[in-house]
Amino acid sequence: MTMIDTTSYTLISEAIKTEAKRILTDGTVTAVVGYAAARRKGSVQPIVITTPEDADKLLFSKGAVNNLAVYLTKAKKEIPKTGRIGIVVKGCDLKALVGLMGESQLKRENLYLIGIPCSGVLGSIIQPDTELTEDTIAPKCLECDVHMPTGCDFIPQGAPITPELEKKYAAEIARLEALTPAERWSYWKEQFSKCIKCYACRQVCPFCFCEQCLCDRNKPQMVESTPRPAGNFAWHVIRAMHLAGRCAGCAECERVCPMDIPLNLLNRKMAKELKELYDHEAGLEINEKGPLSMFNEKDDQSFIK
Amino acid sequence: MSRIGVFVCHCGENISRTVDVERVARAAEKISGVAYACDYKYMCSDPGQNLLKKAVSEHNLDGIVVAACSPRMHEKTFRKAADAAGLNPYLVEMANIREHCSWVHEDKEEATAKATEIVTMLVERVKMNRKLQPITVPVTKRALIIGGGIAGIQAALDIADCGHQVVLVERDPSIGGHMAQLSETFPTLDCSQCIMTPKMVDAANHPNITLHTYSEVENVEGYIGNFQVTIRKKARSVDMDKCTGCGVCMAKCPQKKIPNAFDKNLGMRSAIYVPFPQAVPNTPVIDRENCTWFKSGKCGVCQKVCGPGAVDFTQEDQLIVESIGAIVVATGFELYSINEKPKGSAIKGYGEFGHGKIPDVIDGMTFERLASASGPTGGKIVRPSDGKEPKQIVFVQCVGSRAREKGISYCSKICCMYTAKHTMLYHHKVHDGQAYVFFMDARTPGKGYDEFWRRSIEEEQAVYIRGAVSRLYEKGDKIVVMGSDISLGIQVEIEADMVVLATAVQPRTGAELLAQKLGISYDGYNFYSEAHAKLRPVECATAGVYLAGACQGPKDIPDTVSQASAAAAKVMTLFSKDKLEREPIVAKVREAGCVACFYCKKVCPYGAVEEKEIRDRQGNLIKVVAYVNPGVCGGCGTCQATCPSKSVELDGYTDEQIIAQIEAL
Repeated sequence: MTMIDTTSYTLISEAIKTEAKRILTDGTVTAVVGYAAARRKGSVQPIVITTPEDADKLLFSKGAVNNLAVYLTKAKKEIPKTGRIGIVVKGCDLKALVGLMGESQLKRENLYLIGIPCSGVLGSIIQPDTELTEDTIAPKCLECDVHMPTGCDFIPQGAPITPELEKKYAAEIARLEALTPAERWSYWKEQFSKCIKCYACRQVCPFCFCEQCLCDRNKPQMVESTPRPAGNFAWHVIRAMHLAGRCAGCAECERVCPMDIPLNLLNRKMAKELKELYDHEAGLEINEKGPLSMFNEKDDQSFIK
Repeated sequence: MSRIGVFVCHCGENISRTVDVERVARAAEKISGVAYACDYKYMCSDPGQNLLKKAVSEHNLDGIVVAACSPRMHEKTFRKAADAAGLNPYLVEMANIREHCSWVHEDKEEATAKATEIVTMLVERVKMNRKLQPITVPVTKRALIIGGGIAGIQAALDIADCGHQVVLVERDPSIGGHMAQLSETFPTLDCSQCIMTPKMVDAANHPNITLHTYSEVENVEGYIGNFQVTIRKKARSVDMDKCTGCGVCMAKCPQKKIPNAFDKNLGMRSAIYVPFPQAVPNTPVIDRENCTWFKSGKCGVCQKVCGPGAVDFTQEDQLIVESIGAIVVATGFELYSINEKPKGSAIKGYGEFGHGKIPDVIDGMTFERLASASGPTGGKIVRPSDGKEPKQIVFVQCVGSRAREKGISYCSKICCMYTAKHTMLYHHKVHDGQAYVFFMDARTPGKGYDEFWRRSIEEEQAVYIRGAVSRLYEKGDKIVVMGSDISLGIQVEIEADMVVLATAVQPRTGAELLAQKLGISYDGYNFYSEAHAKLRPVECATAGVYLAGACQGPKDIPDTVSQASAAAAKVMTLFSKDKLEREPIVAKVREAGCVACFYCKKVCPYGAVEEKEIRDRQGNLIKVVAYVNPGVCGGCGTCQATCPSKSVELDGYTDEQIIAQIEAL
């Protein structure tokens, strides 16, 4: 079993503390969104600090799974209104921020980005004190191409250690693509039938920032709201379509799903389609227009028959 | 409870042949909310409309469904009728049971059932229609004409004579376009320059016309009555205010061996030049690619010899913004370069004709320059290769045109006539020469056209051979034309001194880019599309943009001038009012749901979406939302389809209405 070395996270944590203290003291930012230790040993929780004294609470560890982008748009909507905000970001989280900038939800100049040279985080934090290995690491980290985030205001010293490991999503997508449409249909039908419509996936997703989700509307009712098969299917298809070309794969939806529906697998499949059809990858640059809100004569039109 | 009237039209037999219209009307009566239903032979006729008007008052109707043709055809007609009867016109909807039903089905039973369902759906939609009032927007009474050929000049003069301001933009250094290049014109053989140049001068001197030559349209924003057009005035390197047009600079310029595109590269020009002596304006431009000063920083002779000091090497492109109310597109055509296979196009080229390789195989426009008194040979018809007079000349018709297998299926319309003209011009200038024409059939439907063509055969001794040409090749100083004569059923070979190809008329290269700037549609060949082939032939589907001339399709001069005047008339109709009424079917934002992702703004083809700040009474910013400017919105509904939270809706097409329609099935 391959172990992944995360000793550099201690030094990174120290650097975050120093930098957060500095930017809060000199007034660069009014608040910093980051990670702090939680109650159980090794577990980590998001935190918003507003005073230099609190900077000592910040840290980064293999348990820092959360995508903090959601605290800028939905979970703590009042924070960005206070002024420029510092935020601790892994490469995957940064992609979400870049996407949100393209959708007019955030402005780069209002953020102070503290990028993390990240070797990976845990897939599950049910047992936060486990070692980071090829089995416990989050599947998204196996396909990560942004261990070292770029374009940040501050990046602590440290080189991410990234052993070559099997790409689980790619393998699973290949497996599903080899199935017949009927088999694929029944696979997803089974997966979606588990859904209890708790909407945790919606709650945690930085891109589900609508104040009134169309799936909650009742005049007219677009999607059946009870957790029955037809409504479940509609919800997940709408979710996948709305995220196509936007989701960069922080995989928070999949992590929080209490029913273990492979939501990021669906998102990755959509991303693959976008890459093949339009050579588009979400989160790499601030795009004014994504490929799905634009028509180009060179676009693939083979689907029109 | 709604009180809706349903009016089912027979459309003569167009609908009633396949749809039992009476049964549709009887079924409609039973739909909840329908107060009255009837059928009539021609609902759009005067008695049909009266039927509708009478029913509105008799049955106290609050909504109308007309089950007939496409809304594109008669929605306006019935809305007007309802308005006359005192019902808000936007409570009228069309149920299309012709294009969507009777025309595409054969089984009467099934078609009747489908027609009933279409009517039912529309009844549900009308129930939720709101009364709408027309939107008024101001009109800037200033027209932009793009292209300074005969079409653009004619439209500009007509509009300017009516007292309105006109901005005429021409890409080349001079206005005049193709017509200035022609020698004589059919069917009268009067000299093209003699009728064209006075018009050019009129356009330049007209107090209401602002001329921008050597300029291009860079960007177009806004909408009918209120366009903001950015024009790029390319650096001329000569100050137009100072230049007197004396021409010393051109005489002294040491670079004199540059092929002149105006003369189809047969003649030469200097690096500082006017394309032809009668150019308007008569101000030279410096061709920076070929100018020694711009290539090496030396020379500067033109600047030294210029008396008024008009030559200015430091000039830069200038961007100017004009407020415009209406746009006439008159960008014209170009001739198909048959030796080329344009990238990404279905057009295949004619390698077998050797055009571009054999110097004495030329196209029609090159022949015009040879025959023109102001051309490079002073009107002498000679071979480009050795300057000898051709004694046998072969004209080939339909090169590119009407050749589906080569990628162009349309007829270029002007070639039959101009080739007949060419044979005459040739006969007038080379008395002992012989002209042959290979043709498919002669298309001469125009006033005096057939007589003109017959004259070329009967009086001017042109020999017409019905058949195609398969190959051209050089043999000594002759060109062998291999063709067929299908009247006799034999193969023909002619040893010619010169071959003139009537190559297809094509839109300008880059026509599609201008169309994208203007937001107008174009066909597979990049010809611009009119709003309706028969009833709206000069308007674009985009309001406020009109078409004139060959940019819409191949046209001869009389047709081009007619269309230019027609486009001018449309512009003047628009300018006759101070305010413009627009359809109120526009999108509205539900601000409570809007999260300002501005996808609507990104996809809006009209640029109608703006950012709007919502503030509380103290002026604190609550949130930013999208706002649709109703004066700009074209009512396409793209924003509605794109909005992730369904917070923008088109009046008359709300999600509720669409779902009600679906649920009615």
